[in-house]
Amino acid sequence: MTATFTERLVGSLNAFFEAVLRFLPGLLAAVLILLLGLVVGWVLKALVSRLLRVARFDRACDSNGITQILGRADIRTPPSLLLGRGLFWLVFASFAMAGLSALGVGFVNRLIAEFFLYLPRVLSALLVLLVGFLLANFLSRAALLGAVNAGIPSPRLIALVVKLLILVLSFAMALEQLRIATSIVLAAFIIAFGAVMLGLALAFGLGGRDVAKRVLERQLDTRTDETPDGFSHL
Amino acid sequence: MADLSFLPESLRRQLAEIGQVDVLVGIPSFNNARTIGHVVRAVQAGLARHFPAHRALLLNSDGGSTDGTPDVVRQASIASFETVLAAHPLRAVHRIVTPYHGIPGKGSALRTVFAAAAVTGAKACAVVDSDLRSITPEWIELLVEPVLERGFDFIAPLYHRHKYDGTITNSIVYPLTRALYGARVRQPIGGDFGFSGRLAEHYLGHDVWASDVARYGIDIWMTTTAITGGFRIGQSFLGAKIHDAKDPSVDLSAMLTQVTGAVLSLMGTHAARWREVRGSHPVPVFGFEYAVGLEPVPVNLARMLERFRTGARELGEIWQRALHPATAREIAAIASASDESFVFPPTLWVRTMYDFAVAYQHGRLNREHLLRSLTPLYLGRTASFVVQTRDAGAEEVEQILEELCLEFEREKPYLLERWDETGGGR
Repeated sequence: MTATFTERLVGSLNAFFEAVLRFLPGLLAAVLILLLGLVVGWVLKALVSRLLRVARFDRACDSNGITQILGRADIRTPPSLLLGRGLFWLVFASFAMAGLSALGVGFVNRLIAEFFLYLPRVLSALLVLLVGFLLANFLSRAALLGAVNAGIPSPRLIALVVKLLILVLSFAMALEQLRIATSIVLAAFIIAFGAVMLGLALAFGLGGRDVAKRVLERQLDTRTDETPDGFSHL
Repeated sequence: MADLSFLPESLRRQLAEIGQVDVLVGIPSFNNARTIGHVVRAVQAGLARHFPAHRALLLNSDGGSTDGTPDVVRQASIASFETVLAAHPLRAVHRIVTPYHGIPGKGSALRTVFAAAAVTGAKACAVVDSDLRSITPEWIELLVEPVLERGFDFIAPLYHRHKYDGTITNSIVYPLTRALYGARVRQPIGGDFGFSGRLAEHYLGHDVWASDVARYGIDIWMTTTAITGGFRIGQSFLGAKIHDAKDPSVDLSAMLTQVTGAVLSLMGTHAARWREVRGSHPVPVFGFEYAVGLEPVPVNLARMLERFRTGARELGEIWQRALHPATAREIAAIASASDESFVFPPTLWVRTMYDFAVAYQHGRLNREHLLRSLTPLYLGRTASFVVQTRDAGAEEVEQILEELCLEFEREKPYLLERWDETGGGR
């Protein structure tokens, strides 16, 4: 019995040490890959941040209103550095996944494969959000300026509606990219968009009937009760 | 000689057949069938009357008109020279009607005129707009003679205008150009110019024909390039300028954006030059100058002020990114004044324009948006000008404009300081 116990103990310990010996190279490789990820991520962060600064990316963000939006969220870091940091974490996360796969654990490998398959969707969703955000800011400012210069009432409201519509559209497109409840998001978007448009039409047609009448009359009738200016600006 | 490969083959052939000319008059056009006949006849009579012994060419550079403009040019002629001339011209005036190649716009049309001047070796040239109703044969003499006989390189027009005509020129383009480059060219974007063959070649040598210069910024570009190139500059008094009604779809904001954008863009190009200029000098004037009529014209002051106040209320965030904080505060303060006591002080206007110039160079805001946001400010300044000059005569109005120009010159150190602070144009 003693022999059996000793054999079992030694056998288990052997199996354990064999497993540890099998696992150790993988662990070492994982640690090395993580360290490499840190270095590559840091170098890329420094390089990209510097390149963006040289390309006056911060100034472009400033002129597009991105810096102001970040400021409102109490983020004071320059956008070039922010993007550099984002890249660092993306690179580090990718290396971390590769490191985990070096451990050779089955379910981790499946998770990693799914992560790398999903990554392009996350990136394209982020890109869609960024473009949508820039477009929303640009077009809402253009709408505001156009409305002010044309003397249209409530220019800020018009600008806000333009901005919201584009942001909602880009948000829905980003969710669609991420494949998050695609059909529900699409249906919700169509319903919400339709409701907003119908609401605006009703508000303009019922609430602003007189305003609508005046606007249409002014558009269709070349005669005007306003005194035309005798100016020739050029 | 500059690259002339952009000239249409048919035009090259016609120019080769004509050979050398002394005087070339260019008429850019696009759908001007209603008015161009009169312009062609005036040019023809002007050349025959004032330059009968010179070889002359009339070149219509057309942008693909669909209303028969080229046919009108080909057929326009003076029925009887006896009615306009004391003697028969010694030489016939050559006439070419040609489409131009390149980006659609007056700049591309004039590039063809410059190239034709280079090919024919023209000594003196003139360009006149095709929508003019008030052009007379004397305009050709006044634009060409100082170049041909007195050695001038560039002749800008001087017009007889109402005090409320040309307000963009009066409140922005003239004072700014004068303060920047030091030459008192009263109508820098007049559109009707005389220039030497030497200057035409100089224009051709610039690589600007794919930019906004080719579209709409050609007038201020020609004037600025002539000044900064050190050419001999003069002005000719042409009398009244009456042209066909402008396309109503072109709104004030678009017009202001185009004109101001062209001036501010050139400001960046010639920064090294204008930084050294202090004060200004008069430019010789030719022709007989006479007083300006001041018949009352309708002005909707309340609407202008309403647009200005709407701008102050809604565009504060945009203005704050363009204006110095002190300028922005002052503008907010005047926006609350009543209509009758409303004043947009000259110093404040000058600083506003200089702040916009710096913001334009610095690119802190999309340039189109920046310039569009200037419209309410311009209307505020114009409203103030109307209040100030309501009962003023021509001389008094000119004195007020002179004061504004001097203010632009006095405030130039402010522009330089801000330009250097923000690294504009460097």
